[in-house]
Amino acid sequence: MALRLIRAATPWRAPMTLLQVKGLVKHFPVTGGLFGRTSGQVRAVDGVDFEVGEGETLALVGESGCGKSTVGRLALRLIEPTAGSVRFEGEDLLALDAAAMRARRRRLQVIFQDPYASLNPRMTVGAMLGEPLKLHHLVGGESQRRARVAELLELVGLRPDHARRYPHEFSGGQRQRIAIARALAVEPRLIVADEPVSALDVSIQAQVINLMRALQKRFGLAYIFISHDLAVVKHIADRIAVMYLGRIVETASTDALFAEPRHPYTRALLSAVPLPDPTLVRDRALLEGDIPSAMSPPSGCRFHTRCPHARESCRRDDPPLVSDAQGHATACPWWPEFPPAPAVARASAEDQDRIRLDRLQAAFVSKEEA
Amino acid sequence: MTAPLLELRQLAVSFATDDGTVRAVDGIDLALQRGRTLGLVGESGCGKSVTSLAIMGLLPPDHSRVSGEVRFEGRDLLKETPRTLRDLRGARLAMIFQEPMTSLNPAFTIGNQIVEAIRRHSDASPAEARAKAIEMLRLVRIPSPEKRVDDYPHKLSGGQRQRVMIAMALACGPDLLIADEPTTALDVTIQAQILDLMRGLRRDTGTAIILITHDLGVVAEMADDVAVMYAGQIVERADVKELFARPEHPYTVGLLGSIPKLDRRRERLPSIEGRVPDMSRPPQGCRFADRCPFVEPTCRAAVPALTEVAPGHLSRCRRAPLSGLLS
Repeated sequence: MALRLIRAATPWRAPMTLLQVKGLVKHFPVTGGLFGRTSGQVRAVDGVDFEVGEGETLALVGESGCGKSTVGRLALRLIEPTAGSVRFEGEDLLALDAAAMRARRRRLQVIFQDPYASLNPRMTVGAMLGEPLKLHHLVGGESQRRARVAELLELVGLRPDHARRYPHEFSGGQRQRIAIARALAVEPRLIVADEPVSALDVSIQAQVINLMRALQKRFGLAYIFISHDLAVVKHIADRIAVMYLGRIVETASTDALFAEPRHPYTRALLSAVPLPDPTLVRDRALLEGDIPSAMSPPSGCRFHTRCPHARESCRRDDPPLVSDAQGHATACPWWPEFPPAPAVARASAEDQDRIRLDRLQAAFVSKEEA
Repeated sequence: MTAPLLELRQLAVSFATDDGTVRAVDGIDLALQRGRTLGLVGESGCGKSVTSLAIMGLLPPDHSRVSGEVRFEGRDLLKETPRTLRDLRGARLAMIFQEPMTSLNPAFTIGNQIVEAIRRHSDASPAEARAKAIEMLRLVRIPSPEKRVDDYPHKLSGGQRQRVMIAMALACGPDLLIADEPTTALDVTIQAQILDLMRGLRRDTGTAIILITHDLGVVAEMADDVAVMYAGQIVERADVKELFARPEHPYTVGLLGSIPKLDRRRERLPSIEGRVPDMSRPPQGCRFADRCPFVEPTCRAAVPALTEVAPGHLSRCRRAPLSGLLS
């Protein structure tokens, strides 16, 4: 009995760190005028730290211009940071030369939002999937390559004979599957997925989310999942980092973040999501105004211009991201004083309706598996 | 029940393409009462936007064929002259689109554009129209409207542009507003502001709204009634609470299942496999048959009719009511 108690009390251990980002900063110069002089800096990312463990999904969420996509590109070193470090499997990626970085790219892949723009329209799917295999010397000969391409297509739910077709012959959801197959071709450890389902219809979105989760389980992939959609993120992420104007304002495990959102911005974001339940009556705190410009972010806490709880010191002091013992970190010192956030949603349908709907929807899951 | 403000009868729209005739909208029957909000829901290509353009008379006459009836206060708009339609549009029927930047003229100030809309449909003097434009901007909560009225569209944020579009659409007090994905291009906190604004304006003006969206969350918040479209047809119609609680068409069931929810997490989201049929060669029977887990041979024989399965609740499914499938 005693032994069992001790076991139960063993603290949760984080998975092995795969990617570690520290003090990441990216300022884009704004040039203009006759001589192309720099007239300012867009502070797209302004001091971001996070880690991603093996096989884990970290979601970066936030609204347009919060810097989430820039963070994704910096983590892959597709663009060079102004300051900070990116360590992948313990190695400093920023210290690598071009050739070494290219070799590392095998372990770090990317999927973009728009599968129409990220696939070469003049290449067949087979050529597209075969290219990285050749580049990284992953297959011996032509027949091996063809077999691997067929295997990849089947992995993402397409048919081997699709290899002969061109991207325009596929629907949006199928193209995103091709993009995923291409990322998988080189057996990566980490995939940065930048709004991978935002351009897809909901029924197709669910297919792609299911696929990404199944592949993660099978290959132990880690994802950085960049999204503006909190409901999607809830389904796929283990941990979430909420960004606002180039900073992380809150980060926690997915369950903790939805159960107890602490930062006023996270709370506003959650209460703004329209919920597919017409019986809900919500007491929502609407944010006033627009997101300020990243060229001249507000002093002190960047959120103070829209924050319902802002006080004098918020204009002056830039609050650090402070973590509690469970790893729930908040960049707002005042959160313990706020009233508890209203429950995000309540089961409201009559039980019998809910049971009926669940059972009808179960038929869709079994059709899919058939 | 009073006569509906808008009534569609067997509305159909087809386009001639290289691959043959595409029937984008195929026999829509719909009625909308004054002051009500109807959510028109469906995924890309289901015909929801084409339906709205047909109501407004905005489809290119050379490339499209529209048949059926669009009755607005009893008169069939499809039989009216382009001139009459122009007088109605803006004054009695207004429309806002997803991307406000493409609907605003970048070369004119927002004030000019609202004033033009007002003067086109009334006898207002330039000064009166300008005063009205400022009042409308205040109504849609643009800060310091007397200054912003002289701004060009590029100076405004996306959310503000959509507010300007709403101000322009409502300037002449239309009876019907068609909003085609009005918040899809906006961030979620800005979307919440715009939806809140639309709710307030609807309460104050009594404008009937057709809200076209793919977002079931937006529909749940805004609509009184919902029509779900699939492959050019309405497959289900009901009061909003009824539709979300007791959907009676398999497509609606699948659609509701595919949305990731904030209040529960599932191991797998029920998703609808496959894709929508090619509308240049629509299947002979039910258009959802290939993706439907409840399909049986008779479903493929002929297109099922939209029939009442519960009071005020219509479904185009031979197997409805669906509870019978769960024994």
